[in-house]
Formats: sequence, C-alpha cells, structure tokens
Amino acid sequence: MNASAISTSGLSKRYGNADALVGLDLEITEGEIVGYLGPNGAGKTTTIRLLLGLIRPTAGLASIFGSDCFRQPVEAHRHVAYVAGETNLWPSLTGAETLFLLGRVQGKVDTSYRDELIGRFDLDPSRKVRTYSKGNRQKLALIAALMCRPRLLLLDEPTSGLDPLMEQAFRTCAHEARANGQTIFLSSHILSEVEALCDRVGILRNGALVEMGTLAEMRHLSALTIEASFDGSVPDLSRVPGVQAVQVDGQVVRCHVQGTIEPLLKVLAASRVHELLSREPSLEELFLAHYGPSGEQAGELEDAQ
Amino acid sequence: MRSELPPWSAARVENAPQRAIARLTGRKAVRSGVLWGCVFGVTVASSALGYVAAYPTITARRAFAAMFGSNAGLDAITGPAIRLETVSGYTVWKSLAFLSVLGAVWGLLIATRLLRGEEDAGRWELLLSGQTTRRRATAQVLVGLGVGFITLMAIASLIDVAIGHLAKVHIAPASMLFFTLALVSGAAVFLALGAFTSQLAATRRQAAGYAGAVLGVSYALRMVADSGAGLSWMRWATPLGWVEELRPLTSPRPLALLPIAGLVGILVVGAIHLAGIRDLGASTIADHATAKMHTRLLSGPTGLALRLGRFTDAAWMFAIGATALLLGYVAKQAGRTFSTTPSIERALQKLGAHGTGAQSYLGVAFLIVAVLVVFVAIGQVSAIRSEESKGHLEHFLVRPLSRQRWLADRCLVVVSALVACGVVAGTAAWVGTASQHSGIGFSTLLDAGMNIVPPAACVFGLGVLVIGVWPRATNIVTYGLLAWSFLVNLVGEATHLSHWLLDTSVFHQMTAAPAVAPDWTTGATLLAASVAMVLLGGYRFVRRDLVGD
Repeated sequence: MNASAISTSGLSKRYGNADALVGLDLEITEGEIVGYLGPNGAGKTTTIRLLLGLIRPTAGLASIFGSDCFRQPVEAHRHVAYVAGETNLWPSLTGAETLFLLGRVQGKVDTSYRDELIGRFDLDPSRKVRTYSKGNRQKLALIAALMCRPRLLLLDEPTSGLDPLMEQAFRTCAHEARANGQTIFLSSHILSEVEALCDRVGILRNGALVEMGTLAEMRHLSALTIEASFDGSVPDLSRVPGVQAVQVDGQVVRCHVQGTIEPLLKVLAASRVHELLSREPSLEELFLAHYGPSGEQAGELEDAQ
Repeated sequence: MRSELPPWSAARVENAPQRAIARLTGRKAVRSGVLWGCVFGVTVASSALGYVAAYPTITARRAFAAMFGSNAGLDAITGPAIRLETVSGYTVWKSLAFLSVLGAVWGLLIATRLLRGEEDAGRWELLLSGQTTRRRATAQVLVGLGVGFITLMAIASLIDVAIGHLAKVHIAPASMLFFTLALVSGAAVFLALGAFTSQLAATRRQAAGYAGAVLGVSYALRMVADSGAGLSWMRWATPLGWVEELRPLTSPRPLALLPIAGLVGILVVGAIHLAGIRDLGASTIADHATAKMHTRLLSGPTGLALRLGRFTDAAWMFAIGATALLLGYVAKQAGRTFSTTPSIERALQKLGAHGTGAQSYLGVAFLIVAVLVVFVAIGQVSAIRSEESKGHLEHFLVRPLSRQRWLADRCLVVVSALVACGVVAGTAAWVGTASQHSGIGFSTLLDAGMNIVPPAACVFGLGVLVIGVWPRATNIVTYGLLAWSFLVNLVGEATHLSHWLLDTSVFHQMTAAPAVAPDWTTGATLLAASVAMVLLGGYRFVRRDLVGD
C-alpha cells in the first residue's frame, strides 16, 4: 500500500469571526493526483498555506509524508515543491539566477530536466524577472518546482496566466510526474484541467469539504441529463419519480434524473420516442451543483484573508 | 449583498477620477509631512533654546562666535557661520545645512515611493485603467506630494514662529517664515528630483539611487564651496548651495529662490512629460532586460540579502566613514571652544570627561554618527520585514529552511554590519584627527566607534520584536523610536527634562565617548536587552502567520 502523502485531521483556520477552513479531514496517498475545487474564498489557498506551515492552524493536525507540517516543517518541505497562483520573485535577478538560487535552497536539482523544462515552457532565462510577463513568471515558478522532482507538488492555480500551449505543456509534465510516482495536490478553477488530470476531486464550500471522491463516484451520486425527442404528443414527465428540471421545447424534452432511471424509462416506453440521448454530468455541472448560494460568506472570508 | 461602498451620486463619481489619485497620494504624503514637520520644528526649537540656555550672556556668545566663526573645516559641514553671536545666526548655522539634507532625503524617498514604488507594485496599472492618462495621473500624484510638502512646511512654520515669539529668542514671524521656507527648499528640490528620476529609472531602488547620487554630489560641491578654498562660487552649482544663498535670518536674499523654484518647475514638467512618452513599467534610461548569470552570493537567503543590499550598505558605510572623517578633521579646531564654554565643560565634567578639547567635541559630535548607524539598523529591519511583506520569504520557507534559521542568519548579518559601522566610524575619525595631529589614540576612537553600536543594536532588537508581534507596524515603531530618541536628546540639551524621559532615548544610554570612557556595562545591558527582544520576536515570528503589506 502507498504511503500517506498528505494527512489532515480536523484542520481549521479562523480569521477573526470568519471560518476560513473548518475541520478538514484529508487523506491523500502517494502517487495520486487530487483536484481541489471551490469558489473564491472557499479555503483552497488557506489549506495549501496551512500544509506549507506559512500560516498556523486554529485547530487540527496536518502532516506531509508523516512529518508534522508545523513542528517539523524542514523535514516535510524536503519532499515538497509549491507553485502559487500569484508569483512574486526578485525583480533584479534573471530567470537563470532565480532557478539557481531556489535550487540551492531546495538542495537538489535535476539539471538536465530543468534545462528540458526551460525548453518546453519556452522561457528565456537570461531575462531579468522584472521584464517577465505574468505568464512567464508563472512558467519560472513551475520550472523551479518541477526541476527538483519532489515527491509532492502543491499547486495553487499553477496555470494562471499561461496560454493554452503552455497549459498543455503543464499537463504533460503532470502526467510524467504521475508516471514517476509523484503526488500532485492541484487547486484550480480550470475544471477541464482537473477533469483531465485528477484521480480524485475534492469540493470545498465555505471552508468545509463537501465532496471527495473519484469523478465516477461523484457522477454516480449526481443527476443524469436526458434529452428525448418525440414523434407524437409529449408526455408529462414532471411527476415521474427522480425527474427534475423538466424543460419542454416543442417535441423535445430535457430533464435531469436523480437515482434510478427505471420509472422514466417506463413512461418513455409508452410514448413514441424518436431519439433518446443521455449523458453524465460534467465536472462543471458537478461543481455548480455543490456551489450553493453562499457568495456573501465566501466574500467575507476573502476579505479576512 | 450589502455594499460597503458609499452611495455616491453620478456627479460625484464623474468628478472622482480627477482627484482620486491626488487624494490617495495626499493622504499618504500628509501623514509623513506631519511627522517630519514636527522633526523640523523641534530641531529648530532645540537649536534656538539650546543656544539661549548655553550662552546666556553676550560675552559667552562673542567667545563662541570668535571660536566657530572662522573655522573652515566646520563650515564645510555646517555651512558658513554668520553672526554666531546672535540666536538667529546660531539657529541657522546649527539647523539649515542639517535639515536641508534631511529634507532632501525625505523628498526623494517619498517621491520615488509614491511614484515608481506604486508602479513597481502594479497598483499604478489599476489607476491608469481608470478615466485618466499617464501624464494626468503623474500630475495628480505630484499634487498629492505637494500637499504633503505643504503640510510639512505648515507644521514647521507654526513651531518656528512660536519659538521666534518667545522673549528669549525674539525673531520676527516674517523672518521665521522665510527661514522655514529656506529649511524646506531642499525637500522641495529633491522631491521634484525624485519624481523626475522615477520616470528615468526601471525600479524604485534605481530611481532613489539616481536621486541619492545627485544629493551626494550636491552635498560634496556645497562642502567644497564652503571649505574656504576660494571656491565659494561653486555654491551656485548645487541646490544645497542655493539654499545657503537664501541666508535666512542673517541677510535674507529672496532672489536665490528663483533657481530653486525654476529647477522644481523644470523637474515637475519634465516628470509629467516623460510619464507620457514612456511605456508603463519601462524606463527612459535604457535598462538591460537580459544579463549574464552571476551566481555570486546566490547560495541562500543570506547571500541574496547581501547581494541585493550591497549598494545601499556600501553607501551607508561610506556616509558613516565620511562623516566620522570630517568630524575627526575639524575636531581639534572645534574643540578649542569647548574649554572656553563653561556650561559644556561642566556638563562633560559631570559625565567624567577627560582629554583634549578635540575629544570633548567628538564626544558630542559622535551623536550624528550614532544616528547614521541607527539608520543602518532600521534599514536592515525594514529589509527583513519587506522580504516577508513582498512574498519573497515564502519561496524560502516552502523549501527545507526553517524560520528560525532564516531569521538567525539575517540577525547575524545585521550584527556584523553594525560592528563594521562602529569600526569604520572609529577608524575614519582617527584618520581625520591624525591628519590634524589632534593627539587622540586609535584605540580611543575605535572604542568610541564601538560605543555607538549598542544603541543601534537595541533599535534592531526592538525591530525584530515588532516583526514578531505586530509586523505591519515595524517601520512606524522603529523610525518612531529613532525620531523620539533624537528629539529627546535635542530637547534634553536645551531643557531640564526628567531623567525618566531622557532614559527613553537610546542615545541617552550611550556615553559621550571619546570625551568620556565608554561604559561597557551599560553597553552590555543594551546588547542583552537587544538579544532578549530578538529572541522574543523570533519566538513569536516562528509561531505566527506570514503577513503581507
């Protein structure tokens, strides 16, 4: 069985009167790629900063590869690399000097992989950081994290500011990392990225983890989307058990089905169905299903942070 | 959702962009202007009142004027001594050159911070996305800076006029107002210069560096002009010389305001013009976008701090060395007056003073060097805090490096820098005194140099404590302590302050070496207090959240 890469128990963080994170229990095993989703201010960045020991928990425990994040940060960080969504580096250093410095502090660098990454991300390392665009600064941060080949990558919106080609380069690197047995904890708003990369997904709302599982598990728990076209009269589906959000557009009916589809199939079988389409919900739909009306509180949390 | 924004009417919103930037800048500049206005006013007050208290009779004043009125070495530092037998002459001599330089430093720092600093931080971009242009926005910032400048001048004027109104001082309000105008003229010129270099340079650090270099050259030219070598015409080649040519309180020459106002106008217009022709984030002077890789000092955070601060540290070290050298150079001549000034002699004897007049003079004058060394300590505290607030520290702490190790290494560097300052000050002062055959030994002056380290270490210790418990207040508290200590010392010279109040000044804990043998027990106590504050601050720092600006 793989070792535990990240483990938290009752991890909480409070800013004044606002709960940024409430009793987070998380278990991520080595080699997994886990997506971490949630609206702005839900507590994603707070979780990652707690894991890195940059902020202190109000309550609870967190460990990385068995090392306590707060009592043994040096030991924990030996296996970790981190990329923040907003990278603020030393403006007077060049890209190459920045990579050299961060590599020295990390203590280990795969130099040939670093050079390969510089090529893949199309970065000019001779330029001073202050002349880089936001995207180029983000590339530099990604290279600095990946070049150490850490056991765990903590990525907080790592592709923010990258163009689609570079986003693709990042996905390739993430797949390689998985193939090497590295663990990735990825917070992102790009749901297609999470859908394409992650083995499991956690959804956070108002500082609490409301869902955690594989995409298949989450889809199983969620509504199926059905679209039926009829030749004759359209049956009334609104009273069929499990059927929700019925929309009738001429001879076409769209609806969601929660739970077993059998009652709906019985009604449809009795009608003249011309075409029947069904599809599982996308991650976006799953995410939106959990993203309830809590914007106000989320906003307050952001302010507190 | 309930909005916290004020319910502005459409008309108000329409007018807002015209003034919003000026208001925003003005708010910051006014805060600073209030503080420095007080510093200006209290410095003038302490000079005038100190003179009245120390030289109450016309005989004492004439003796004083005879000694200092023809000291070319001293003139090079303080400007020409004119009518030293009067309160007016002494006040100008004591405060004009000093406050002109202080004001110039204030002006260039605040202008580069609120112009280029805001641009570096990316906030300028947000402002420019509003209903304004780069030129208009720059003009608005200059208006805000102007409001801060006027605040400084108004507060200093109020204090100066009030002091002039005292019977013992008795200087007419109009004369005092012109004197205040002369005092702040240096600030106006270098504020405008800071705005101008903000358009030339690629970063705030560079902009402040350019303006600082001009200030250094201006000061050097002014010194040469006042050195009595027949080069007094050179005063017209430097803004600090123009300020001197105003000759407030002694023989006022308002015409000398013309070059000052002209230069300010040219620099302001130039800054607004350049803001319109350059790209946002770019510099007018070509900046190298690429560079060869130099890995010197890039082995870790401490090396990086040394590398990034090397020019600033070298400039401070140079300033400390040059000041100590000059003080040493003029000590022999200046010291002669001390033995003829009973009040000073009595005060020094009470402190156990011994040795030549030059030693007595240096004992008092080394306060200037001590202030510079405290500036170094505060600069280091500020750099430590700024690494955290800018987010640079995170890059180290997410790697295998503990907060304790990072802070301990930085503290070690600061302690080494402060000790180096002490050694440089002592050695440079010795070189200066030796050149005049003043007869003061190297070890005596080295001890005097080391004597100014504990107060700076104490301020540094307090800075680390504040970083631990209230990080956002680091600069306010440390600069506040420096200003407070300096003012208490200045006022304490002139009045009989309670010893409880005097004890709150870090400079009061320092003996007047080399006039008095350094009190190493007090020094060790200050160092112990500093270590305790560093430990407590470090303890809190490793247990708190990292905090941005």
